[in-house]
Amino acid sequence: MRLEDVEVALLQSLLDELTAVLEAEADDDPVAQRLFPAAYPGDDAADREYRSLTQDTLRSERLERISACAADLAAGGDVELDDPDAGRRWIQVLNDLRLALGTRLGVTEDDPPVDPDDPDEQPRLVYYWLTAVQDSVVTGLMR
Amino acid sequence: MAGTLTPQREAAEQSDADVLADPDRPWITVVWNDPINLMSYVTHVFMTVFGYAKPKAEKLMLDVHHRGRAVVSSGTRERMELDVSTLHGYGLWATLEQQT
Repeated sequence: MRLEDVEVALLQSLLDELTAVLEAEADDDPVAQRLFPAAYPGDDAADREYRSLTQDTLRSERLERISACAADLAAGGDVELDDPDAGRRWIQVLNDLRLALGTRLGVTEDDPPVDPDDPDEQPRLVYYWLTAVQDSVVTGLMR
Repeated sequence: MAGTLTPQREAAEQSDADVLADPDRPWITVVWNDPINLMSYVTHVFMTVFGYAKPKAEKLMLDVHHRGRAVVSSGTRERMELDVSTLHGYGLWATLEQQT
């Protein structure tokens, strides 16, 4: 994956934001709710038990993947994805970034096209850029 | 969806009374449609997590996309909790429930 300097900087800031969300452990944050969905939607007791067994591990795994991706970016914009672990963590982290930003933006499957010249639409353009990057990495891994 | 996994076909042949009386009926992992996860990514996750061949993974992904949900695995409750937590790690919207 070859990234321009501006893309590296953008990803680094998005990774920092996601790290802050995960470290805040604010369960009422819609992003946290999307990253850690209910396993038992109709059964609060079972869901609490599931969370007590899984959520800390899932959170620390997310933070570890983010740190590893941040370290890749710190080494430059030429990110090596041939290593299976690197490919896996990058598509997971890109997906977490899209889940976080997409949740904040309230994206739907029927959103209208974005006007690239509208400054208010910049977050949405970032979201679509993440989508394109993730799709290209996933397609590369499946080849 | 139910036709993709053998245990579900067997369960579907039981009467409702049999199912309700059977505490050992299997649990299922369900993946729900959402507007963010990419079709390519969901297919890749099904192949990676479950070892499904690409045609089966794509069929399940399309079931999620078009029908709103798909049963992606079945088995013991413990095994399904593991599948759900693995899918949560990948950011998929997964739940588990006992087969009805």
